[in-house]
Amino acid sequence: MGKIRFIFALLAGKLAEWMLRVLTGRGSNTPGVIMLKICPDALARFQMPPTVICVTGTNGKTSTSNLVTNILRSAGKTVVNNSKGSNMAPGLVTALAANCTLGGRVRADAAVLEVDERSSPYLYCHFTPDYLLCTNLFRDSIKRNGHSEFIFDKISGALPAETTLLLNGNDMISGLLGDGKNKQVFYSVERTSRSTETCPNTVCDITACPRCHHRLQYRFFHYHHIGEAYCPSCGFEMPQSRYFASDVDFEAGTFLFHDGGETVTLPFAAGNLFNVFNTTAAAAVCRMAGVPMEQVARGVEDLSARTGRFEDTRAGSLSVVTMLFKNQNPISGSQSLAYLDHIPGHKDVVLIVTDSKDKVHGHEDISWLYDTDFSSLTSPEVGNILIGGTRCSDLALRLVLGGVDQTKLLLYPDYEELARELPERVAAEGTAAIFFELYAMPIANRLKNILVSHFSGKEGGAQ
Amino acid sequence: MSKVVIEVLYPEFNNLYGDRGNLLYLRRKLELAGAEVELLETSLSDTPAFASRGDVGFLYLGPCTERQQELELEALRPYREALLERMGSDAVTLATGNAFELFGEKILRADPQKSEIRALGFWNTYAERFSRLRYNELCVGECGGIRVTGFKNQLSHSYGETPAPFLTMHTGTGLNPQSRLEGAHSGNFYATYLLGPLLALNPPFAARLLASLCPGAEEVVLPFEQEAYEKRLAELSDPAVNHSKHHS
Repeated sequence: MGKIRFIFALLAGKLAEWMLRVLTGRGSNTPGVIMLKICPDALARFQMPPTVICVTGTNGKTSTSNLVTNILRSAGKTVVNNSKGSNMAPGLVTALAANCTLGGRVRADAAVLEVDERSSPYLYCHFTPDYLLCTNLFRDSIKRNGHSEFIFDKISGALPAETTLLLNGNDMISGLLGDGKNKQVFYSVERTSRSTETCPNTVCDITACPRCHHRLQYRFFHYHHIGEAYCPSCGFEMPQSRYFASDVDFEAGTFLFHDGGETVTLPFAAGNLFNVFNTTAAAAVCRMAGVPMEQVARGVEDLSARTGRFEDTRAGSLSVVTMLFKNQNPISGSQSLAYLDHIPGHKDVVLIVTDSKDKVHGHEDISWLYDTDFSSLTSPEVGNILIGGTRCSDLALRLVLGGVDQTKLLLYPDYEELARELPERVAAEGTAAIFFELYAMPIANRLKNILVSHFSGKEGGAQ
Repeated sequence: MSKVVIEVLYPEFNNLYGDRGNLLYLRRKLELAGAEVELLETSLSDTPAFASRGDVGFLYLGPCTERQQELELEALRPYREALLERMGSDAVTLATGNAFELFGEKILRADPQKSEIRALGFWNTYAERFSRLRYNELCVGECGGIRVTGFKNQLSHSYGETPAPFLTMHTGTGLNPQSRLEGAHSGNFYATYLLGPLLALNPPFAARLLASLCPGAEEVVLPFEQEAYEKRLAELSDPAVNHSKHHS
């Protein structure tokens, strides 16, 4: 009976997928939603490919799973992934259904599935990943994710014992997943030229030893709590990493990836340490899945530009940068803003980072602004700071408390007014950096186009 | 020039939701008012300054995770009498988020047996954790004629009554969804489920605390704080806003 129901659900899902593609020209999670209505345990009924890799964690899971897919494909494997849909059950079902036979056999050598952390209890009860890669665990959206212990418990309680975990050896929170229960393998990034002796951020999500609760010592920090910590009281520290990155060159955008005695130079995008971690993690899980070292190097490429999360467009003497700043995610926001520290010269900044759909989603809890680092905006090289959106006065107060010069702040509750005044508020030379939350990507693109169109062909001369 | 000593208990844990914004705000306001500020950060294994010296003007306890809450309770237990004495004094204490629960009778875990953790027993409430759904809320309450706006995010509710509430709720809920009375208030002791940068969100309430901390000091108004507060107050007072929700 279950099998018949699954086949019926699959037919309905495939029909829905075909209709959506014909009518709208794009996919959605609707086929998965329909399938799960008909057959709630659909995920358990697919015949999965020989290799199933799940990628989860607070930050970096999209980039990392795209990199894993790229590497596997460049190694000649056929791969099913959910990069075009959601990272929850309907998105996974949609991706698998689009690439399976009517009997439910997934036609691929591997499945690479990005998984929302909170969805873990609803997924791993239906299928067992061969490898689960967890990029990191941080505080995230208060409303959705609560705290990192809450998310840790969600993943931990759902882990099948047979799954091998690939964990971040620089993260003493996610690095404890599956402790004593699963096979754990670690990857890490060695100290870089940007590492610090003290925490460079407002937020450090673990400062007490998870074993004895005494204060941890850090040999160095990469960012937030990501670094090399140990407990001077009980001696606890993370195990040795089998895979690791060294010799990170932020100018050249390269680093050395090590697997035992084998080493290869890999590129990373946008001079961003986040991408070193993502690439190291992706390379490591592909090595575990049997991909040769040279194929790993071939498959690694810059995906950030393709996703629209970071773009740098020239307009006369002005560089117009757009960069994603995840709403309610203080870690993502802090790391995005830190990009400003590495751009020389004058910078005008646009912040559309509070919820642009606030009225639809309901009033935003703005507590996260106080966990986000805005110190990059205190630089004398920063000129005007244009703040858009309903919660602009909340953000302005936060910036003033963070030491930002209030005379630089221009508030625009109305995006239309921001769009109208923008060209007059940005200098023609240097950088205009537009930081946007996910839902504000269309607004950010519009503002970018206004600046590009206004300043293209104009050289020099601040306005 | 007056000096204000601020003690933050267990900062390694009590920093979940932008709560350090309270200290950032308080410190800036005090310094602009001409006060000298000494900030003490007390870890779990340290002896709290409020128990060992008599000059802690402001004591702050923020929210933490559920496992950390149990550790904190054990760390605080030896200082119950000192806390009780403080409650009866002019010194200011602010406990936010699940720090409120430390002062009730007990906390019931979310396990099937609802196992109990004995709390400090300052009043007759008990907290009951619920399984894996977090409770979020946007709310407005009133304390002595002052409207207080705020946010909640928690894995438990409390039942019973405190001797006097901190807030009577206009929108949102009190200690639990059936109650309109929220938190506890006695003299300069405030405990509430509201969390995050409560003081930065509420300049009128913050002004009251500052007046207790630094009597006679000039009131300083920061740019944008009043307009941000008024806008939030107007929006969160609207009964049409979806004020509370459980999230999986």
